[in-house]
Amino acid sequence: MTRVTVKTTINHRKYELAPDPNQTLLDILREELGLTGTKRGCEIGQCGACTVLIDGRAANSCLVLAPQIDGKEILTVEGLASDGRLHPLQESFMDHDAVHCGFCTPGMLMSAKDLLDHAPHPSEEEIRVGISGNLCRCTGYVQIVDAIHDAAERLGKKERIEN
Amino acid sequence: MKPFDYIQAPSITDACIAAAEHSPAKFLAGGTDLLIELRRGNGNYPRSVVDISFLHELRGIEATPDGLIRIGPLTTHSELSSSALLRKNASFLSSAASTIGSPQIRNRGTVGGNVMNSAACADTVPPLIALGASVTLQSVEGRRTITLSDFFIGPYKNIARGDELLTSISFSPLPSVCRSSFVKLGRRNALSISRLSVAAVLGYDRDGRIADARIVPGSAFPVWRRAREAEQMLLGEEPSDKLFTAAGKRVSEAMVSYTGRRWSTEYKEAVITILVRRALEMCGRG
Ligand SMILES: Cc1cc2nc3c(=O)[nH]c(=O)nc-3n(C[C@H](O)[C@H](O)[C@H](O)COP(=O)(O)OP(=O)(O)OC[C@H]3O[C@@H](n4cnc5c(N)ncnc54)[C@H](O)[C@@H]3O)c2cc1C
Ligand code: FES
Ligand code: FES
Repeated sequence: MTRVTVKTTINHRKYELAPDPNQTLLDILREELGLTGTKRGCEIGQCGACTVLIDGRAANSCLVLAPQIDGKEILTVEGLASDGRLHPLQESFMDHDAVHCGFCTPGMLMSAKDLLDHAPHPSEEEIRVGISGNLCRCTGYVQIVDAIHDAAERLGKKERIEN
Repeated sequence: MKPFDYIQAPSITDACIAAAEHSPAKFLAGGTDLLIELRRGNGNYPRSVVDISFLHELRGIEATPDGLIRIGPLTTHSELSSSALLRKNASFLSSAASTIGSPQIRNRGTVGGNVMNSAACADTVPPLIALGASVTLQSVEGRRTITLSDFFIGPYKNIARGDELLTSISFSPLPSVCRSSFVKLGRRNALSISRLSVAAVLGYDRDGRIADARIVPGSAFPVWRRAREAEQMLLGEEPSDKLFTAAGKRVSEAMVSYTGRRWSTEYKEAVITILVRRALEMCGRG
């Protein structure tokens, strides 16, 4: 098994990596780059704890081979905050007690980011579908749905002010 | 995951050559089935993985000059769900894709992987069979096109050789007088007791009688097939609750005659009857 060369952008930083082809994107993030915000859960695509954005769309990093991210842009929970400020989603998750043990939170945030980037004013049903690939054992989802609603409003307001 | 050789194919031809030279090989598309299989590590583990996920020419949905709809195998379920061309010409294929797994799975999982993996619960297959779709397979030995109803031979089994690459899926658009629907029991794939589903098409003539009827249940027969018994009884009739329920019962009888009675049959019989009725109702009444 020969290593392959992978050029990729992770959290806005360029990397040249040489993974073993049987490593997953999740392995690379956690073991090679120390980006342990992305969680290792079921590793069969069911729990969503490993969710990251690949070219802006939510994906289970446990189901992506490392060489497949060549030329792609990856965003993990560590890349959500900018200029030392938390992302509105992160703030509203805290304000709504949408984080209990926190294991599902990075994945939830990334699914929610994909949702709000593509549907800035989601209905409750759209939010529930948006996070249907993310399991939470603690919150019962109500606070999470509320937090995403609230973040959508905050982002809307921010946009109006900026315009 | 156990080791394997990884080959990134820069073209369709290179992918075919790699699969022939490094056999046994597995093509890698979205990886949502293959990675789980590789991690499990049992069965016939491949010597090499041929990554086709960078082949842009295998992506996309288009209307061809000869009047067909052609779908590239790397088209994702998210892309099928949001395609205006499909919504117009085969809306139940979009609907079926939108029920698959989760947003993460739909963003990565491809229609080609769904067809080639050939699980009995593959959701894009019932609409594709109802559409009379054909698949084109390519290898170093050449190309062949097969109708999907001759392609599957059992759960997880089809007639493609390991070195054959699926390069296109095509079908005639539904006539504009037809309406289609897809219904599926349960949303989460984790619910494994049953993944029954039904794809249906109904078309009416000028007098409001049924002139085109297609019913394909998922996870019901050992191999996908149109429920011709039920379709026949709909043709020439006016739509009614009674007729749709009778058609549902007919599909359920056919299912039992093909699969025999098992522990799950009593449940499946009742559910398939209702799903067929619901799918027909969703197609509307002309
Ligand atoms: C959590 C979860 C939920 C799921 N839910 C559903 C569901 O609700 N409904 C459903 O139908 N499926 C479901 N699936 C299964 C899976 O997502 C789909 O079957 C998907 O379409 C597979 O596509 P892929 O691109 O990921 O295939 P891959 O994993 O890349 O490949 C699958 C198989 O097809 C072969 N292959 C792929 N492309 C080609 C090609 N062009 N030519 C030749 N061979 C090829 C591969 O070698 C492999 O054997 C689920 C999976 C997971 C993990
Ligand atoms: S760890 Fe990837 S989905 Fe659970
Ligand atoms: S907060 Fe514990 S799993 Fe969601």
